[in-house]
Amino acid sequence: MRTAVFSKRNLKELLRDPLSYIFCLGFPIVMLLIMTIINKSIPPEANMTVFRIDNLSGGIAVFGLSFVMLFAALLLSQDRTGAFLTRLYASPMKAHEFIGGYYLPIILLAIAQSCVTFIASFVIGAVENIELNVGRTLLAVLSLIPTAVMFIGFGLLFGSIFNSNAAPGICSIIISAAGILGGIWMDVESIGGGLQKVCLALPFYHSVRAARSIMAGTSDKLGTDLLIVLGYTLAAFALSVAAFRRNMKSDNK
Amino acid sequence: MENSSIEIKNLCKNFGDITAVNDLSLSIASGELFGLLGVNGAGKTTTIRMLSCLTKPTSGEAFLGGKSIVTEGNEVKKIINLSTQETAVAPKLTVRENLEFMAEIYSVSDPKKAVEGVIKDFSLETVLDRRAKTLSGGWQRKVSIAMALVTSPRILFLDEPTLGLDVLARRELWTAIKALKSKMTIILTTHYLDEAEALCDRIAIMTGGCLRAVGTADELKAQAGKDNFEDAFVEIAERSKASI
Repeated sequence: MRTAVFSKRNLKELLRDPLSYIFCLGFPIVMLLIMTIINKSIPPEANMTVFRIDNLSGGIAVFGLSFVMLFAALLLSQDRTGAFLTRLYASPMKAHEFIGGYYLPIILLAIAQSCVTFIASFVIGAVENIELNVGRTLLAVLSLIPTAVMFIGFGLLFGSIFNSNAAPGICSIIISAAGILGGIWMDVESIGGGLQKVCLALPFYHSVRAARSIMAGTSDKLGTDLLIVLGYTLAAFALSVAAFRRNMKSDNK
Repeated sequence: MENSSIEIKNLCKNFGDITAVNDLSLSIASGELFGLLGVNGAGKTTTIRMLSCLTKPTSGEAFLGGKSIVTEGNEVKKIINLSTQETAVAPKLTVRENLEFMAEIYSVSDPKKAVEGVIKDFSLETVLDRRAKTLSGGWQRKVSIAMALVTSPRILFLDEPTLGLDVLARRELWTAIKALKSKMTIILTTHYLDEAEALCDRIAIMTGGCLRAVGTADELKAQAGKDNFEDAFVEIAERSKASI
């Protein structure tokens, strides 16, 4: 019950922040449009398909989710900066109710963002005469939920550790890493070398490749990709819970 | 004390080598408005944090409504509420939403009635639909206290409630606090002497983490042999300094 009450409060705080609309909903659409325009200027003989809407949508959806991390970090760090959380620590609320209350509304926001990204992709696909499959797209949205939880976990981890000035900066580094190393703007398979190893060691490329595989209806490496993402998700979740509990207890020493 | 709401027994809090609160023992009656008075660093806020289960005591014990802050923290939390030094409101929620939120978090049986009650008591009608962050400091503090009261706590902690407010806003808050007298037990920390004298039934003077004197404002004046409360406070604080 308290989790639902706290979730409702957090959802309202997020929805009343204009940045949520700009970064979480507007930004992916703008990126899709820009990359589609860039794709048009790439000559067919370059054989570069990374910016084609059926490849691009999964990548942009993952990139968009990295901004959800920023909102999670800001929400928690701002609550910590004021006395609002102190007041709630003195209430009958338990640690799991706090954690659930932060995760649930941001997961909803993340799902909404993925839906908006794919709906925009459908529209662009229709204009570009590239047909996207509805069923596979829905599966892709589902496959991105662990990625969303992972980014929220990182966001809450940074929000627990850093203040509201430092947390966005740390998130920006992860957002940049997700963009560059996620294979959204480049073909990771063809670059090789150390950079490819880094891409494969981190979860971002696996999230993007899983979403793309599902969109394309191929299952090659899908299981491995999802397992790696799931591993990072569990780690991010565990770290965020530990950091939040430590914060609660450090006040209690 | 038979009808005591708060019993504090030898409460201590150390932060490393620093003793923030040293061997504090007090008994506070139900319905009493009790003031903790002291200069910065006297241990007032640490005392409040221990009593509201935000900080664990290093040693000692306190019972609030018969429940131990050491072993029954969750039970204590159900009967208390707290208004902190800094304003503690959800900035993007409206005043009404903030009040409803607190009522729901404490599972108040009739949240609508409770919210309407504090709106009336604190004359919040004109700002009800405004987001908390758009209010002035005085209004935010008022809303913050109203958020504590909407849960009908048996014990209310007001930590420096008028800190940083202008004279008019302070006086307005005094009126609101006076109206709460005898409805619940209130522990108020302040370093404004006039505030303690005007509001509190009894006042405890703390310096250096220790309780130096306790009594009504008149009793403290008599104890210090002074005619006004400020002189009495200085005398008691200086006397304790000399005895260290």
